[in-house]
Amino acid sequence: MGILEIKDLHVSVTDDETQHAKEILKGVNLTIKTGEIHAIMGPNGTGKSTLSETIMGAAAYQVTQGDILLNGESIVNMPVDERARKGLFLGMQYPAEIQGVTNAEFLRAAMNARRLEDDQISVMNFLKELDKNLDLLDMSEEMTERYLNEGFSGGEKKRNEILQLMMIKPSFALLDEIDSGLDIDALKVVSKGVNAMRGDNFGSLIITHYQRLLNYIVPDVVHIMMDGKIVKTGNAELAKTLEVEGYAGLRDDLDLDVALVDEN
Amino acid sequence: MKTVEQMISADELSEFARQNMEPDWLIEKRLLACEQMKTLNFPNVLRFNYRNWQMTSDLLAWIKSDKNLLNCDLNNNSLVQFGQTTLSVNLATELKQQGVILTDLFTAARDYPELVHDNFMTKAIQTDDNFLASYHAACLTSGIFLYVPDNVEFKEPIELNLIQDSTQVSPLVSHTLIVAGANTKFSVIQQIHTKGSQANLANAFVEVIAQENSHVNMSSLDELGENTLAYLQRRAAVGRNAHVNWAIGMMNDGDTVGNFALELNGDGAQAKAKVVAITKHRQRVGINTGIKNVGKHTVGDILQRGVILDDSQLVFNGIGDIVHGASGSESEQENRILMMSNNAYGNANPILLIDENDVLAGHAASVGQVDQSQLYYLMSRGLSRVLAERLVIRGFLGAVLTAIPLKTVQQKLIKIIERKLADGHESD
Repeated sequence: MGILEIKDLHVSVTDDETQHAKEILKGVNLTIKTGEIHAIMGPNGTGKSTLSETIMGAAAYQVTQGDILLNGESIVNMPVDERARKGLFLGMQYPAEIQGVTNAEFLRAAMNARRLEDDQISVMNFLKELDKNLDLLDMSEEMTERYLNEGFSGGEKKRNEILQLMMIKPSFALLDEIDSGLDIDALKVVSKGVNAMRGDNFGSLIITHYQRLLNYIVPDVVHIMMDGKIVKTGNAELAKTLEVEGYAGLRDDLDLDVALVDEN
Repeated sequence: MKTVEQMISADELSEFARQNMEPDWLIEKRLLACEQMKTLNFPNVLRFNYRNWQMTSDLLAWIKSDKNLLNCDLNNNSLVQFGQTTLSVNLATELKQQGVILTDLFTAARDYPELVHDNFMTKAIQTDDNFLASYHAACLTSGIFLYVPDNVEFKEPIELNLIQDSTQVSPLVSHTLIVAGANTKFSVIQQIHTKGSQANLANAFVEVIAQENSHVNMSSLDELGENTLAYLQRRAAVGRNAHVNWAIGMMNDGDTVGNFALELNGDGAQAKAKVVAITKHRQRVGINTGIKNVGKHTVGDILQRGVILDDSQLVFNGIGDIVHGASGSESEQENRILMMSNNAYGNANPILLIDENDVLAGHAASVGQVDQSQLYYLMSRGLSRVLAERLVIRGFLGAVLTAIPLKTVQQKLIKIIERKLADGHESD
């Protein structure tokens, strides 16, 4: 069983121009075990993406306090690729486009990156796995011969993130707004992919604005984040309450002194 | 010290040509070119100084190259030349029946004198184009002639393989002449590499005469050795409504000047020039890639991408030249260089020479480092930084890779690129 622990995490981002460091995460505590799906909801500008990017190791985010432990081992000083090989995966909101590298070739490289030199995946096994997952995600084979994300529509990119997830099989997947820009059919397909991953060896942290996604991927735990902190944790019902009350209502219930970005 | 044109006498030169049983007109052309050398200059490559390079040799000799020194299988090629020696010519019977000619240039000059006389250094590159062109014409020692008669189309590319013989002292002065008749459609892939490590110069030209409504796809894969000092000049004369696409993988290991140009002479002519280059160690490479719009409604597109490693230098000049009268024409260009080392020097210069009002012209140029967001994305999937960088670079160069019609040659270029990158990284 795997465990991902976020302990009193404080994260700052430095503005390139002013060199002024701004604290985004102000003491996040969170524990996810494999076998569990957690959702983080929260208003815009509250630090949800910062949390996922910091766990993955994006260079722009500086951990100023606290720790991130994967199976008991601190990963805050590890480079991104090493974190990935230890079992982390970040499904990105805006995946990069890379010309000249086909999807299939990239997938194989990513799968082989976490295997030993003398245990690289055979072409046969790779294609078998690929076909199975393409089928499940309702993707055409042609997608795998296209260049990585190049010219993909928003929906195709998201599907492609899930395809990678299913091929790479990480122990923990951070999914950052995988529902944004998806129509209802695509949302169902993407959810189907994530649900297919559910099991004892897989845990996930799903970041979303909307409860809608959680109708399709029912979380075990829901966290509400505001102003760089988790302010409330509950079960799947919490997301539904939120849908009714809105973030402002919840804030007032909790008697928090937080300004919401999009509040009138 | 005497310069080469002073050292080669007219008598010596004509004797040399006679040994080769050349027709009189060709000998006269050599002698004229030798005279022209006295007043001409090196081609100008902006922001690239190579004045002190020894780009000519006074060694005039017919030299045999021993094919037993080559241990590679070249059977798949249409024509193989090792140094001055033509090893094999393989043209499909079907093409021969349609009148396609593929032979070494000197044989062609004897057997098809009119075709060669009319097209050799008359329509695309004149002997007085520059000093190195006149040297080329005077001291030519090998060549290839490909003629595709009007209305002939074929899919399978013609593969030309040139191997510089650097197992001995022997300058490579080689000319490939390609004449595409009206309404023809075909592809040519030319590969050039070096056998042996003797320091030699290479002066290799390609001329493409693309007649009305022809479609010619050219791919050039250069892989000359590190002890080869190279001057490569390639030019196409593109006729009315003809299309020429030229993809060049400049993968030489030695110092190189590239002088590439496509001239859109006929109305409605179109051309694309795509160049990739990788430089490493202390290598210096300067490349001019130009498209000249002469006819009306002509369209030119230049794309140059380079990766520079170690202490190397790479200059890309993109030259879009729209002459007066070429109304309704377009000239686009993009020149980009990726710096993989802080000690490398890159220069990407768009040069637009426009003497006509009714045109569209655009350019983009950059010299920069690897896109960090792309690296992050690949690394977030577990790929090491080195592998991620290689994939990003290959992607950066991808636009030219995809322009090569043969998968095997594409794969070969990818392999060369990866070898060069690995090699360059080690010496960081």
